[in-house]
Amino acid sequence: MTQKKSETGDLLRDTLDLLILKTLSRGEMHGYDVAEYIHERSDQVLGVEEGALYPALHRLEVRGLLAAEWGMSDNNRRAKYYRLTAAGRKQLAEETAHWKRMSYAIARILEPA
Amino acid sequence: MPQEWLTEAWLRVKALLKRKRLERDLEEELEFHLAMRTEKNRALGIAANDAKTAARRRFGNVTLVKEDCREVWILTWLETLWRDLFYAARILAKSPGFAAVVIFSLALGIGADTAVFSALNAVLLHGLPYEHPEELVTIFSTHKWDPTPGIDLVPLADVAALKKANHVFADMGAIGGIGEATLAGLGEPVKVPVQTVTPNFFTLVGVQPVLGRVFRVEESHEDSQTVVVSDTLWKTKFHGDAGVLGKTFRIDDIVSTVVGVMPAGFKTFGPWFTGKQADIWQPVNPEDARYANRVGFWIVPLARLKRGVTLPQAQLEMDVLEQALEKVYPQQNKGVGAEVVPLYEALYEDSQNSLYPLLGAVGFILLIGCVNVANLMLSRTESRRKEYSVRASLGAGRRRLMQQLLVESGLLTLLGGLLGILLSFWGIHLLGAISKDLPDAENIRVNGRVLLFAGGLSLLTGLLFGMAPAFRASRTDLHDALREGESRTATGKHSGTRYLLVVAEVALAMVLLVGAGLMINSLLRMLLPSPGFDPANVLTMTVLFPPTGGKYLERSPGKPMERISPKVTAYHQRLMEGVSALNGVESVGMITMLPPLGSGGRTLSIVGHPAPDKRPFLGFNEVSPSYFRTMRIPLKRGRYFDERDTTNAPWVAIISETTANRYFANEDPIGQQILLRYTYVNDVDEVRPRQIVGVVGEVKQAGMGGVHPQVYESYLQQPEVYPGGSDGFHLAGTLVIRTTSDVRAHAADITTSVKQMVKEMDPDQPVTDISTMEDMLGEYMSRDKTYVLVLGVFAGIAVVLAAIGVYGVLSYFVNQRGRELGIRFALGAQRRDVFVLVAKLGVTLAGTGLAIGVALALGLHRFMKEHLRLFHVKATDPATYAAVGILLVCIALLACYIPARRATNVDPMTALRHE
Repeated sequence: MTQKKSETGDLLRDTLDLLILKTLSRGEMHGYDVAEYIHERSDQVLGVEEGALYPALHRLEVRGLLAAEWGMSDNNRRAKYYRLTAAGRKQLAEETAHWKRMSYAIARILEPA
Repeated sequence: MPQEWLTEAWLRVKALLKRKRLERDLEEELEFHLAMRTEKNRALGIAANDAKTAARRRFGNVTLVKEDCREVWILTWLETLWRDLFYAARILAKSPGFAAVVIFSLALGIGADTAVFSALNAVLLHGLPYEHPEELVTIFSTHKWDPTPGIDLVPLADVAALKKANHVFADMGAIGGIGEATLAGLGEPVKVPVQTVTPNFFTLVGVQPVLGRVFRVEESHEDSQTVVVSDTLWKTKFHGDAGVLGKTFRIDDIVSTVVGVMPAGFKTFGPWFTGKQADIWQPVNPEDARYANRVGFWIVPLARLKRGVTLPQAQLEMDVLEQALEKVYPQQNKGVGAEVVPLYEALYEDSQNSLYPLLGAVGFILLIGCVNVANLMLSRTESRRKEYSVRASLGAGRRRLMQQLLVESGLLTLLGGLLGILLSFWGIHLLGAISKDLPDAENIRVNGRVLLFAGGLSLLTGLLFGMAPAFRASRTDLHDALREGESRTATGKHSGTRYLLVVAEVALAMVLLVGAGLMINSLLRMLLPSPGFDPANVLTMTVLFPPTGGKYLERSPGKPMERISPKVTAYHQRLMEGVSALNGVESVGMITMLPPLGSGGRTLSIVGHPAPDKRPFLGFNEVSPSYFRTMRIPLKRGRYFDERDTTNAPWVAIISETTANRYFANEDPIGQQILLRYTYVNDVDEVRPRQIVGVVGEVKQAGMGGVHPQVYESYLQQPEVYPGGSDGFHLAGTLVIRTTSDVRAHAADITTSVKQMVKEMDPDQPVTDISTMEDMLGEYMSRDKTYVLVLGVFAGIAVVLAAIGVYGVLSYFVNQRGRELGIRFALGAQRRDVFVLVAKLGVTLAGTGLAIGVALALGLHRFMKEHLRLFHVKATDPATYAAVGILLVCIALLACYIPARRATNVDPMTALRHE
């Protein structure tokens, strides 16, 4: 079952992690808001199924990059809120730099000389 | 980041433990998402049903998402764990020496701890097989004539009085001693342990019989009685037959009918709270007129506190009641008090005393083992820095690196723990020998709780020694470590910790050595001096008449005096005549209680001397005139008893040298008249005074530890009537038979002949405790010897572990300083200088540890004094400290020698070129 997902690309997975970290750098959010934020900001280019977000959130929580807490949402329902930990912030900085280097390199190759 | 790792580990442990909770949270979280999306869709104007479907479509496969989330928590973790475990096993297999030392250190610590804990678990933590045992209390009498502080038993009449008058106990009964009685009427007569209890005993402790009934209140033991038997006796003597009820036999000549069988595992305890178990219970009635004379302090009251009554309240009530009793019976109860003691405490105080030092010892061993392992791991971490750096540069996160290291220590702990549990089986075997006379000793075994303890202990040690190196490794500086030769410059930084650990190890080992040394010293002081007699080639056996008298005692109910049949003396006389005529017998004698098993007691007053406030207490035995010669106890002054010292001649006594020195310091004891008083009866003197006719050499009569003043009387010169309960000593007799040559060659023949003679005189009379004097002494000391052996083994383990620690640190020092040593050689240093350099470090470490150890041991001297059975040795004995100190220094030097030697063999060229 997991096979198929991992084949769709570790790249996607890593990217998703990075996007989540970036999104949460704005502050505490629950999963739905994270999904909405990514969806809106990416001009709906990233056609990821929303459910795929949750294993990623949990993985980041397990790795200690996120911390989670149960709280009340705006419409007064119990929701699980995620926020960045210090480690997550650090990871975000490293990944962002890495990503920028990578995309710069790829862009240079793809563009005609 | 260590916190990071800890958080993760914590989250995972929580996840494993709270899977249900996790599941619920997951459910709720996804539900929330779908609900939010549905609402949004509806806000966009989609119909309710479609809004929900659209939300689901957009979300994807909910079940699959859940599964993926679950996997994140559990599966991925297990996978990495498995990979790490595999890697760890491979790494460890590459350095078997290191692995062996670590596993061995841990196994010794964990094994020893588990063994001692299993004893503690059985003896201290195991509940008594009674209903609400925490409500049960015992009552001891504190009374006036006994010069030794401590507990004493209570006359039965007091039990009846206290029971009637008190308001604090729900019920009150009493238990008597567990004594060997003759069981006749079921084949060959045998000795069985019989205990006298009040009829309400079984209901008091709340245990039902498996067969029949327990006693009725009015049942008491006189000319015939009912008895309750143990499961063991039922199975061995009656083959578990239900027809046992109503069967009769004779116990010490009292016709006894079985009315009940107690369940397996039911146990009682004697007034001295040893592990001795009774097989038959016979009832005594505290209301019985026979006990109304308030004599015979032979019973321990057992009572159940009323709900809500506290111990101090009960104590207060007893104080008041005892004062009242003293007013009613001013003579008998003068100065008698009562002390309420919880049953647990009465039963287990002795066990605690012997087990706590062992627990302390094994705790130290475990600590030393952990320190050792931590040290080894540190050294190893240092020397593996390059590996870590390579792995880190290949992309391993700090967290992964730490996890890997912790898995490695975990694997070591696991192996150490398993080996330790195996070792503990052997340890339990050893401990069993020490604690066989403790209550519940048969429960000492490895069970669930013990395994849990061992597991927890292993986990703790794994964390203790695994954490530090893991943190250190995670701090590895990539670039530094990769540079060649780095290790030589970095060592200095971390040596401090290592040295500190070795010093701690040596200090702990020193404390253990002091404890073991004190015990060995004390044991030698017991074993080396002569016991005061010659035990070689002496055979002993006991011909004990029923202490309750049976046909040899004439008892008038309700009267205080009991008349002994003259048959008793004649019987013993005839027996000794017969034995002395046997082939291979040089001489034969008789004494009530063999040394060092103890003596009875008499208090002394000297005729013509002013009466003391407190009469001195003398150990007392009846002997035959031939006893001293047979045992080769030297005569110091005067004469031995002879056959003319009969009841018609002037009554005489022989005293021991200590008695003479202590109570006749400035005068000649020979010719002095003394008056002896029965100790277990208040204020009753012997019928007439005795003249001292001899002083004999000191004998270790009561224990091997010390000498106590003794007085001897001839068995031929005894009164016809005794105050009740005081005649046991005249009825008992142990034969001492000196053989002409090796006792082992004659023992079998003599035993057969004696049994034959006894059978002819009285077929109901068994011959018991057949042993050579030397075997008996060996057996008597075996517990102390085993205890010392165990403590010695523990100290030995500690020292070996500490030596390994010293050796390891010095080896490491030499390895790391190879270059420096090479330079020194190149600059013209002598081998001796280098040797001294290394040895000096070792000696400094060991010396510091030793000094701290001495300070620690001195600090613990009060604990040692309280808990170690030390005879004639102070807990601060300087000779012992010096001896074990020298021993430890020698071993430390040995541990220094090898690395120091290797340092002198460093080839300067190789060392320098290695750069």
